[in-house]
Amino acid sequence: MGLDRRGFVKIVMGGVAGTLFTPVIWQSLDDVSIWSQNWGWIPRLNKGEVKAKSALSKLCPAGCAVKVKTVGGLPFAAIGNTANPMSKGGVCPICTGGAQLMYSPARVKSPMKKVGEGKYEAIKWEEAEAMLVEKLTPLKGQDGKIAAISGDETGTANEVLSAMLAGLGSTGFYVMPGEMFTATKGVKLMGGNGQPGFDIEGSDLVLMIGADALDSWGTTVANQKAFAATRPTGGAATAQYIYAGPVLNNTASVCDKWVAVPPTAMATFALALANQLIAAGAVSSAADFGDYKALVAKYTPEAFEAATGLKADVLKDLVAKIKAAKAPLIVAGASFGQGAGALDFVAAASLNVLLGRVGQKGGMTLLGAAPKAIASAADRENAKDAGSFLASVATGKATPGALLIYEANPAFALPQAAEMAKAMGNIGFKVSFSTYMDETAALADLILPAPHPYERFDDAMNPYGVSKPTYLAGKPVVSKPVADCKDPVDVLLAAAAKLGLSLGFDTYADVIKAKATALGGDFDALAAGGIWNGEAKGGALTLGAGALAKAVPVKTDEKAVALAPVTRLAYGTASLATPPANLVTLRDTELVGKDLFVQMNGATAKKLGVAKGNKVKLTSGSGEIKARVHVSEGVAANTVAVLLGFGRSAWDEFTKGKGENVYKILTVSDEAGTGLKVWAGSTVTVAKV
Amino acid sequence: MKTQFSVAKFDQKLQERWGEVMEEKKQCKGCGGALPFVIGFVAAVIAGWVLFPDLIYSKKTQPIRFSHKVHQEQGMECSSCHTFRDDGSFAGLPNNESCMQCHADVIGTDPAEVAYVEKYAKTGKEVPWLIYQYQPDNVYFSHKAHESFECKSCHPDVGKTDTPPVYYENRLSGYSKQTMKMWQCERCHAENGVSNACHVCHK
Repeated sequence: MGLDRRGFVKIVMGGVAGTLFTPVIWQSLDDVSIWSQNWGWIPRLNKGEVKAKSALSKLCPAGCAVKVKTVGGLPFAAIGNTANPMSKGGVCPICTGGAQLMYSPARVKSPMKKVGEGKYEAIKWEEAEAMLVEKLTPLKGQDGKIAAISGDETGTANEVLSAMLAGLGSTGFYVMPGEMFTATKGVKLMGGNGQPGFDIEGSDLVLMIGADALDSWGTTVANQKAFAATRPTGGAATAQYIYAGPVLNNTASVCDKWVAVPPTAMATFALALANQLIAAGAVSSAADFGDYKALVAKYTPEAFEAATGLKADVLKDLVAKIKAAKAPLIVAGASFGQGAGALDFVAAASLNVLLGRVGQKGGMTLLGAAPKAIASAADRENAKDAGSFLASVATGKATPGALLIYEANPAFALPQAAEMAKAMGNIGFKVSFSTYMDETAALADLILPAPHPYERFDDAMNPYGVSKPTYLAGKPVVSKPVADCKDPVDVLLAAAAKLGLSLGFDTYADVIKAKATALGGDFDALAAGGIWNGEAKGGALTLGAGALAKAVPVKTDEKAVALAPVTRLAYGTASLATPPANLVTLRDTELVGKDLFVQMNGATAKKLGVAKGNKVKLTSGSGEIKARVHVSEGVAANTVAVLLGFGRSAWDEFTKGKGENVYKILTVSDEAGTGLKVWAGSTVTVAKV
Repeated sequence: MKTQFSVAKFDQKLQERWGEVMEEKKQCKGCGGALPFVIGFVAAVIAGWVLFPDLIYSKKTQPIRFSHKVHQEQGMECSSCHTFRDDGSFAGLPNNESCMQCHADVIGTDPAEVAYVEKYAKTGKEVPWLIYQYQPDNVYFSHKAHESFECKSCHPDVGKTDTPPVYYENRLSGYSKQTMKMWQCERCHAENGVSNACHVCHK
């Protein structure tokens, strides 16, 4: 019997039919379907124990005491630490995305050296550290040849940096601009010493002159908690909050009252208010009260109206509210956290002296110098500003051979940013200690990746705004960083040792522990989410009349309008680009696609001859940016408001190339009487394009 | 010249072709009729039930020959190593930290223990145990919620074994043969009056 074609077909058909009665097809289909669950490119959950570990998240300038939730040892979320008396369970919009930022694609993955314009090569740490020592060695002992810029206002890393520079014979330690810098200078002009503090929690009337205290100024989370405590659910408010500033920002929008003061008239507003308070009977025992009274007499209601475009009734209303309050507090600051002069601070802070609120509960305080971990470190109140330094580099007055940049982004976040970035080109060797590939790292000759806050030891001494001496410290949450990074301070201490300089410590952890001990605190308790507090001082401050007398009223070009940069903490800081998760919170009146919006009120738009949606060019003496017009009555008269923090040329795909960098059109001028660099009163011309 | 059509010739041709067809039919009957179909059917059924289950799985052994028996003889229970964490989640297999509480150094004579200490405890590398009942990320299984059942209700009864059972890995899906399928979960839930709503297991 043979098998012909028909027979073969029959066998096959029988085989197929038989297969249907076996698991072959059905199980294979099932197996293929579940095979697709585990394709290699599908992200897997990290399984393991869920824990909440205390951490100090210094992604925001103040630093948030948070609990980092981990699974199997890896962070996946950050929540507030209810046990921390400062944040009381709150967390700022930057630090809340801390876990996501740890895995950011913008992180510097390993040490890198520049091998060409915009080209970098990954190198080993041994090579990177040897290169650092090699470049610093010939500059040792020459003042001004090694410089450092720090973008960390509160860390003891600054002590290490300044002490290291001092040990290498240089005094070139500089800090990025911030409120702390100008306010401390302002206190000196008022005859005091130390960092000013503001007891917002204890006050029943908080008048914020410029200071965006409920969003981007000072210890934001603590301020918000203090505000919330005065707004009991279903009950009457127990304190009034008033915001005087150029923009109806997040702070103004929740306050009881917003006073729309242009950024060029902040000091005028404060002194006109002083005028009216004195007229209403306010007196001060300060030695310079007579001079002050004579000085503010010039700031009449008419002068106020001319400078601000507001009605003088506003002042009367404020005076009545202040007089009725038991513990009024004036919080002084720049509306975008930097660039105001010391005299702007003095003008606002003098109201606290006038009202006798210095050293009182719910008033203004002074925080003395904290004990140092390293004796040879520079005093914080004598800090020098990075902007002036780079301006000197640009003109050739300063000729550093090496620049160490610690957690700072001067190429992006200094006024006249384009010029600052250009000035950096004059420096032969630039080292950026940075967690992220920012604009400054992109210009550096050597990039040394710094750990994310969850991967490092760090601390925060007296975050700006606290009313009493405050110290926070944290330790790593993870056992191993996700990038090949090293703590910058550890790297610096090792480099110093190789340069023959001993600062007494081998690691930053040891420095922080010494700092905690010097303060009388317990590092372990601090790292577990605790806090150290000292006693605040009052101090006999003057009204600063002598300094204020030198202030020259801002004169503006008739065609120009005041520029009010707007900060929103959620959209990033001077050293951190907008976290990807927060980009979705941008309104379509702030940024659409790549177009930034400039906001102005109807009257200003009419004056400038522009309308909603127009594309315009904002020009200052230092540059220009393009934006679209949005007409909003939430902007003061003769003022245009633009978001700060956009126009990134580095970072990641999420933030790069969106909007324009407003720092480019902030124009620096010298403050009369103090010589400080100021840019809060920048003006621009606006033209349709 | 035009050919004349002949009815007689056509009929003869038709008869011849009919004969050929009938002959072919006879030959087909000779080679089996429905038999090839049956043969194919039976062969496929046998292959599908007997050979396929062997072919679809590859056999693997655990990286270390772990003896549950020896550990039980020391008075240990399942929960001594397979613990619940403080938050109620199940730790699953113990990690090096747990094993090294006893086995940081070699304490016995078993070569498997020596292998563990040398390869894993001393290098800090976790043992890549093969998980017999691995569930994918889209399944949320709470051991706490199933605590009243005996471990062996779902897991292989390995308590008295000296050598871990062979791990049969499905060549297509990559899962172990013992991995519980959704229908098994659903059946048990139904039998015990527990909801079979999607969100119960798929969060």
